[in-house]
Amino acid sequence: MKHPNMYRKFIYLQWKSFFRAAGVTSKLAQKILIAVVWAYFAFVFSGLAFIAFFGIQDEFGLDPLPTVSGLLIYAFVLWIVIRYFIQKMPMVHVQPLLTLPLSKKRIVHFGLTKSIISFFNIVNLFFFVPFGLILLKEDYSLWGVISWSLSIGCVILATNFLNILLNSQDRLLLIAAAILVGLFGLQYYELFDITAFSEPIFMVPYHQPLWVLVPLTLMLLSYRKSFEHFLKKLYMDSDQMRPKKEAQRVTELKWLDGFGRTSFFLKNDIRLIVRNKRARMAVWMGVAFLFYGLIFMMDIYDSPVIKVFVGIFVTGGFLFSFGQSVPSWDSSYYALMMTQNVQYKEYLKSKWWLVVVGTLVSIPLASFYIIFSWESYFAIIAGGIYNIGVNAHMVLLSGAYTRTPIDLNSMQRAFGDKKSFNIKTILLGVPKVFLPMFIFYIGVLIHSKLMGFILIGVVGILGFALRNFVFDWIEKVYQNEKYQTLAAYKQKNT
Amino acid sequence: MIDINLLSKKYGEQTVLDIDLLNIPSGQTFGLVGNNGAGKTTLFSLILDLIEATTGEVKNNEIVVSKDESWKNHTAAFVDEQFLIGYLTPEEYFYFVGGLRNMKKDAIKTALEPYKDFFHGEVLGQKKYIRDLSKGNQKKVGIVATLLSNTPLVILDEPFANLDPTTQIRLKKLLNEEASATGKTFLISSHDLQHITDVCDRIVVLNKGKIVRDVVTSSKTLNELEAFFQEQL
Repeated sequence: MKHPNMYRKFIYLQWKSFFRAAGVTSKLAQKILIAVVWAYFAFVFSGLAFIAFFGIQDEFGLDPLPTVSGLLIYAFVLWIVIRYFIQKMPMVHVQPLLTLPLSKKRIVHFGLTKSIISFFNIVNLFFFVPFGLILLKEDYSLWGVISWSLSIGCVILATNFLNILLNSQDRLLLIAAAILVGLFGLQYYELFDITAFSEPIFMVPYHQPLWVLVPLTLMLLSYRKSFEHFLKKLYMDSDQMRPKKEAQRVTELKWLDGFGRTSFFLKNDIRLIVRNKRARMAVWMGVAFLFYGLIFMMDIYDSPVIKVFVGIFVTGGFLFSFGQSVPSWDSSYYALMMTQNVQYKEYLKSKWWLVVVGTLVSIPLASFYIIFSWESYFAIIAGGIYNIGVNAHMVLLSGAYTRTPIDLNSMQRAFGDKKSFNIKTILLGVPKVFLPMFIFYIGVLIHSKLMGFILIGVVGILGFALRNFVFDWIEKVYQNEKYQTLAAYKQKNT
Repeated sequence: MIDINLLSKKYGEQTVLDIDLLNIPSGQTFGLVGNNGAGKTTLFSLILDLIEATTGEVKNNEIVVSKDESWKNHTAAFVDEQFLIGYLTPEEYFYFVGGLRNMKKDAIKTALEPYKDFFHGEVLGQKKYIRDLSKGNQKKVGIVATLLSNTPLVILDEPFANLDPTTQIRLKKLLNEEASATGKTFLISSHDLQHITDVCDRIVVLNKGKIVRDVVTSSKTLNELEAFFQEQL
């Protein structure tokens, strides 16, 4: 069943599916934006390579290669976490090929090969290629560097195939995230240094180039395992080909009845979050952003204005990730909503409650930042108030312009979606993040940092007080956008 | 109930719907037939204000649908899967839709009783989400949701498609009973000429966006319709 042009045909299909994705409508601005995002990552990662070498060498007086080798364990665990969010299951897209005259083996090989060309595999090259070149220039052993880089590459690909094999289970994410936070915590408080163990292990292929065979075998084994697994599962009714059926979670949610008519929507929204992976992710994002502040607690970021920035995100993770996709969460039944006798306000209020409660819960959870400094803690409280008063409205407003249908039933990852970028939503991001920084700056000019934090809080409370007025306004925007939104949601993912 | 005046819908140069005048009186069971692309779903979408008319307007009970939303209070519709909430169980879906029409939970439970036969034991009490039901069962859920709340106007797009033969017969019986017992107005589209003549008092044929036949159903209607579509070959 070999066909000389087959791979060309596969690539052709890929090409078309990329450029004809619904909603992209070949808008140049969006393509440029994607290019900018790539360039940004290329820049950041290759910059990181220089910092990793010269920073470690000059600042800490350590040998960069073993140090980086030791830290790699973090990168690998982090990768597993990130893959969960980003990686799409490759087999979902091969369904139409099943009845064509292609052998199943080829289809599986194609699906797996395709998974290699994902953003999170390629982005590694931006780091390891420059880092390897620096190593060579600094007279590290040629064969050692080659063997070392190959080993790392093999481990990265092995995690790639493992993730596909395990089908991005929620449990895997939790375990990986727990390990990551645990290891970091232990190291931070100097209780246990994992790098002391990982360093010699990852240095072996450098000292003994032949040891590259171990990670290589590991990678090939994981490929082989995934291959066999999918070959057996290449049927329309297997979990890998279909969205997974969720375990049934049926509860009455009676306690919400006190909200009156809004409770109908609140119940739906809670079921939406509990029963759809895509929506659950918004909650995980909220949890992840609680720890976002940790990286900014390092000395180089020690500026109060940056702390305001962090404060917004630490408390607003759920708010941003859930709120900016309103009303897209309901895209698959938007026509129903538009023919029921509901008012936008009732509908919006339910979403507003959710993001506000999400933020309210984050504020006390984030109070552990108090160990770092009072300033950080104030920034978080001020950010939280601003999020509730201003950003809760802003995200609902930008949602009206997003119009990206969300297919709750598909495995698509939240970020894999290039369509989420759109100029209007980016512009609306300015008041969400930069305005509070500006307000803080004014406060500092007038009086002091404390004044800055208070001003942010005051603006937040003002926004909260004006919420009915703002709701009317948002309602009008939603009404004006109604037909366009309906049309956009109709053309689902193709 | 429905009054349409000089209504048209254009996409670019292409006119997909162009209706000068159409009045559907209250209590009528109105059938719409036509080939693919004839404009059936477009007409229903315009009546439901899901798309914007290029010219003209639709009045539902004297209310211009694009200007005033109060028609929603007396209208229930099931057009396609865009009207179902996949992550709810059928019961939760009925409670949601009924609840929005101010029905209490117990009232909804009681109102569901008469449809037990129609569901054939495959929908209620299954602890399955709607997205995991078969296409036919999803359709049953959508149809029953429109009947449940006793709105005077019910709009169903292709209700017979995807249903098994037994359920098609049950649906016909159900619609006939509802129409005679409650005096509801029904707007139904279908590709199946037999079914639509069995159910509807009046049948309108759409072709390329225009009304080409408008007949009161009689024993001859089925033959006439078949003859019409034969001519299109």
